[in-house]
Amino acid sequence: MSMLTVENLTHIYGEHTPFEKSAVHDISFQAEKGEIIGVIGHTGSGKSTLVQHFNGLLKPNSGRILLDGEDIWANPKEIRKIRFKIGLVFQYPEYQLFEDTVFEDIAFGPKNMGLDEAEIKERVLKTAKMLGIRDELLEKSPFDLSGGEKRRVAIAGVMAMMPKVIVFDEPTAGLDPAGRDLVLEKIKEYRDLTGALVFIVSHSMEDMAKTADRLLVMNKGELFMFDKPENVFKESRVLEEIGLSVPQITRVFCRLHDSGINVPDDIYTVESAIAAISPLLKKGGTANG
Amino acid sequence: MVRDVTFGQYFPAKSIIHKIDPRLKLLLLISFIVFIFVCGNAFSLALMGAFTVALVVMSRVPIRLFLKSIKAIIIVIILTSILNALYVDTGRVVFEVWIIKITTGGIARAAFMSSRILILILASSLLTYTTTPTALTDAIERLLKPLRFIGLGEAVHVMAMMITIALRFIPTLIEETDKIMSAQKARGADMDSGSLLHRVKALIPILIPLLISSVRRAYDLADAMECRCYTGGAGRKRMKQLHLVAHDYVSLLVCIICFAGVIGLNILF
Repeated sequence: MSMLTVENLTHIYGEHTPFEKSAVHDISFQAEKGEIIGVIGHTGSGKSTLVQHFNGLLKPNSGRILLDGEDIWANPKEIRKIRFKIGLVFQYPEYQLFEDTVFEDIAFGPKNMGLDEAEIKERVLKTAKMLGIRDELLEKSPFDLSGGEKRRVAIAGVMAMMPKVIVFDEPTAGLDPAGRDLVLEKIKEYRDLTGALVFIVSHSMEDMAKTADRLLVMNKGELFMFDKPENVFKESRVLEEIGLSVPQITRVFCRLHDSGINVPDDIYTVESAIAAISPLLKKGGTANG
Repeated sequence: MVRDVTFGQYFPAKSIIHKIDPRLKLLLLISFIVFIFVCGNAFSLALMGAFTVALVVMSRVPIRLFLKSIKAIIIVIILTSILNALYVDTGRVVFEVWIIKITTGGIARAAFMSSRILILILASSLLTYTTTPTALTDAIERLLKPLRFIGLGEAVHVMAMMITIALRFIPTLIEETDKIMSAQKARGADMDSGSLLHRVKALIPILIPLLISSVRRAYDLADAMECRCYTGGAGRKRMKQLHLVAHDYVSLLVCIICFAGVIGLNILF
């Protein structure tokens, strides 16, 4: 049984009004425990609408979302409990910080779960440590932190609830390169530690090539592709048609390949690029030969 | 949820009422309100009522919108009617129980007062439905311009600028509130159940981030305005100049005829 199953999900904004607009249409897929799934698509393709269904912030007009085989809307009164199992980190989550101290802010989610004092403390300290939030920061006001630190505190606030499915909406937007790598690394660490299913909505093909196990490509509210990164990036022409691109390094290698140089054209990360090109260099720079 | 709160009632349509110069419209509304209270008898009030209904029809704004604004003050109308009916005891007694005595005079008075409030609301909604909030602040700024002769010119400009900015940011803030609410709900915030105190407390995680982002936005906007050399009202000119044209004079004339009719009917009866 899959961890998360989405069946024929359709969402229409403003149904039965003149402003009716179909945001996502007839989406079905299954995702397994421990996977990292990248959700990519052009602006307005329905990515954010889709992920807000996973934890019941939006209710589908038709279709179902099953967590471990159970419909999350089976009992609408219990939808709040679903949100502890399926966490959602919004875009620019640092704008949701509000408590006096970093500690209190991370504790907000666990407190809402109704955990006892000791358990809350343990979870906050554990998550803070995992995300590299130093102990002396815990007693500071979240508003005194730097941008990158605030982002990690906000992410910790959701991770401290220990959800088994966690969704990140553009977790690296607006961060510097070091901050981006750090956040992606921490997301992977969380997956390794808890075996959670992770969704990452992103515009960065480089990040996705590095991080994701599978890619879910959205186009105009429909599920366009759902496959491993190498299979998705193989279709560079189709991706360009729907307003997406392939990682920069892939473009470089495709161009080299097309101009007759003996390199593979299925390179998606810088690491694999180095592996592919170093034997050629050892031969003494006569790649054409 | 938050999105359902309608603000800025402007309803775009093509009508002569929409086209009238906002300054004139505002002045006409003010005199209209004065004349509603000048009406001394049922005949003159009926004239005002008929005139208002004619304007409402001409505005091409859906009637249901007007009904909505009437619904908002229906309690006030009912309360006024009851109080008037109870306190006025002229004319024939229609109904008497214990200390409650309803007379024909009381009923007439109640009907008169309710129609007054009704006309008042219709006329004012007519202004807000047919004029954009920006046009309205513009009109206020222009009409208060003479205050510069007593040294308040800059103050008027600043007030108008503040109102314009406030109106412009309402949709932005609604969107932001929606986002923060979703984010806190995702962290398990419970906003739809519990006691009143609990619910008020549940607003804190929404209000604080909202307040902080508003302050941040205000700083950004101030910087952006300064970068474009904004220095206040002195010496600024408008891109859109307001001029009174033929249909404005016609509307003015029609209103004056109506007001004259009210005075005439007041004297006649």
